[in-house]
Amino acid sequence: MLSPKLVSRRSHMGTNVAIPVVLLAAFSVAPMVYANQAVIFQMMAFMVLAQGVNLLYGFTGYLPFGYVGFFGIGAYGMAIGIELFHLPGLVALVVGALFSVIVALILSPLLRLSGAYFAISSLAASEVLYNVVANPALVHLTNGPYGESLVQSYHPETSYIAMVVLLIVTTIIVIVIKNTAFGRALMAIREDPVSAEMAGIAVVRTRTIIWIVSAVIAGLTGAIFGWHLSVFYPSTVFDLSISILAIVFTLFGGGGTAIGPILGSVVLYGLYNAIGISDPQYFELIYGLLIVLLVLFLPGGVVSLLQRRGNYVP
Amino acid sequence: MRKRKQTMALFSLSAALLGTTLAGCGTSSTTSVPPAKNVSQITIGTLYAGSGSFATSSLPEYDGLKFWANQVNKAGGVFVKALNKKVPIKIVAYNDQSSATTATSLYSQLISVNHVNILVADFGSVLTSVAVPVAEENKMVLFDQSGTGTTFFTPNNPYIVLTSLPNSGLWPDSLAQYLIGKHYSRIAILYDTNDFDQSQDQTLVTKLKAAGITPVYNSGVPTSTSSYSVLLNNIAQTKPQAVIEFGYPNNDVSFLQALKASGSHYKMVFTVFPGQLPSLFTSSVGPSAINGTYTYPAPPLISHAHVNYGMDSSQFIAAFKKATGDNANFLNIAGYNTGLIIQKTLQTANSLSQLSLRHAVSRFSGTIETLDGKFQINSEGAQTGETLPVGKISANAQGQVSVQLMTPLS
Repeated sequence: MLSPKLVSRRSHMGTNVAIPVVLLAAFSVAPMVYANQAVIFQMMAFMVLAQGVNLLYGFTGYLPFGYVGFFGIGAYGMAIGIELFHLPGLVALVVGALFSVIVALILSPLLRLSGAYFAISSLAASEVLYNVVANPALVHLTNGPYGESLVQSYHPETSYIAMVVLLIVTTIIVIVIKNTAFGRALMAIREDPVSAEMAGIAVVRTRTIIWIVSAVIAGLTGAIFGWHLSVFYPSTVFDLSISILAIVFTLFGGGGTAIGPILGSVVLYGLYNAIGISDPQYFELIYGLLIVLLVLFLPGGVVSLLQRRGNYVP
Repeated sequence: MRKRKQTMALFSLSAALLGTTLAGCGTSSTTSVPPAKNVSQITIGTLYAGSGSFATSSLPEYDGLKFWANQVNKAGGVFVKALNKKVPIKIVAYNDQSSATTATSLYSQLISVNHVNILVADFGSVLTSVAVPVAEENKMVLFDQSGTGTTFFTPNNPYIVLTSLPNSGLWPDSLAQYLIGKHYSRIAILYDTNDFDQSQDQTLVTKLKAAGITPVYNSGVPTSTSSYSVLLNNIAQTKPQAVIEFGYPNNDVSFLQALKASGSHYKMVFTVFPGQLPSLFTSSVGPSAINGTYTYPAPPLISHAHVNYGMDSSQFIAAFKKATGDNANFLNIAGYNTGLIIQKTLQTANSLSQLSLRHAVSRFSGTIETLDGKFQINSEGAQTGETLPVGKISANAQGQVSVQLMTPLS
């Protein structure tokens, strides 16, 4: 006879295992059901980015308005890998991730700030990265304002699969973090860094690790996204709306959970494609109203409705 | 043991699903030739920017395309040689809101969900760039209206045709000739750091240096620049005879406003867009700010004399005014011109397959002259027939703008 606690733990584990399996199933079948593969690809990209924002904001309390900086650097790192080092696309993705790690290390002092100060400084940092990449003096490295053309490495199918894999891996990482002491340490930092430090949590090390993990997630997403597009300008991959959408999706679903950002991306990006394609003006109105209502009545996101009733939310 | 079995089952399931992903990806749609008897209309898929930074340029271009479609439909449709009959035109258009990311999924939507017969890009290089690989992947000819990016045209891609305007790197050819001919030795160049403007700067500087002229000032600024006072002060320090500014319409407006406020005078001041959008400049900076400056004049400010396909400038201006109530500008003409190229393509192609359409464009390239100029493309689909002359603007107090050509019209 199993104890109720053990039954509950097994049930939670089953739910956690089901999330990546369902995602894998959904995005494996989706291209056969819906012909516009670009929409499905972008939904996955935003899910991954929302999970990256979730790690930084939902778990740790840092709101990264400039998150797109890592995304853009990842795209350009991949492009440099292909153009300068003549690497195959899949290997060049690693270069994109490496570039984002380097940038994350350089920008790690930003973590000394908090709240609005961190949000604004991360936004400024992404603008700096954009202007550096687009600088005419770096034409030999980034092609400056001329943008990148990687048509010789264009593989929409392989890049689609790479995004599926990244989504699954990222989701598993978030689930693991949420259910380990490391995740609880992050949440302690989010609530009160001083108390967390006093409780024996290595605040600087912990938040730096999650900063780098989050940067790698965004860098890889940007790299795969850039590979999938194959022709892009700095303004395309450093577009601030990418950060905003990822943050909104996380807030809508609910930060600090694994399912929240997924739910947010599915509902809001789905809504965008249902209404936004034909009538974007109505979508923007609905979108704006949703955000206002969310902030006023559901600051914990949609999943907080379940949490309030004592349900387990993975 | 049971746990191990469960893990194995999970791995097997994951592997099977990943295999399904591979299979699913392989089913990406490519265009097929519609059976002739089933074609009751020609659908043209395009995007426009209803908001955002490209809206002011994209919307007039889209209006021009819609105007063309309405004109054709009023006449009973477009003649399609492959069907040997006239067929009405239907435009399917989505609003990309000036976002390249949104545009990617919308181009894909037009091809894979709407199954349009003809694909037309949105305005400019940024919103065209994402369409280039999507069109090539789906083996669909992209009618590129004004995306003059240097990277779009490659020998291995037969699925792109630039309908209006030459590649931006070719724009300053006449300008360089004019500056050299006038023996200006002190030339200042200010350009925005984007593909469109920097490629013009590179061409101009290369040509000037070949003639033994090194610009006294040559500096790039971000495209978002809106304050030019300090930059103009720096330029004034170099005592130039000619000041050249390469920017987008918003940059040109800000530059001319700052120049007017500075009170500085130079023998020659050149900006790009007053020649294409004169009414925008007379309303934004006033006629006096553009009077006496130089630009690339474009229709309807100039007229091509030997139009042998579609309306000429004066007919277009009158018909457009009657149909829309608006005064025509160059971007309206660019959109209309795209329609004309599509029309000629359908009249020439032996089938509706995309490669047949592309071959048809090559066949009539160099033989037609529209109100936008001579239509001629090279083997990569880039426009080579049109050239941009240099013109001097005269604007009176009532806002009427005319232009005196300083270099010959092609």
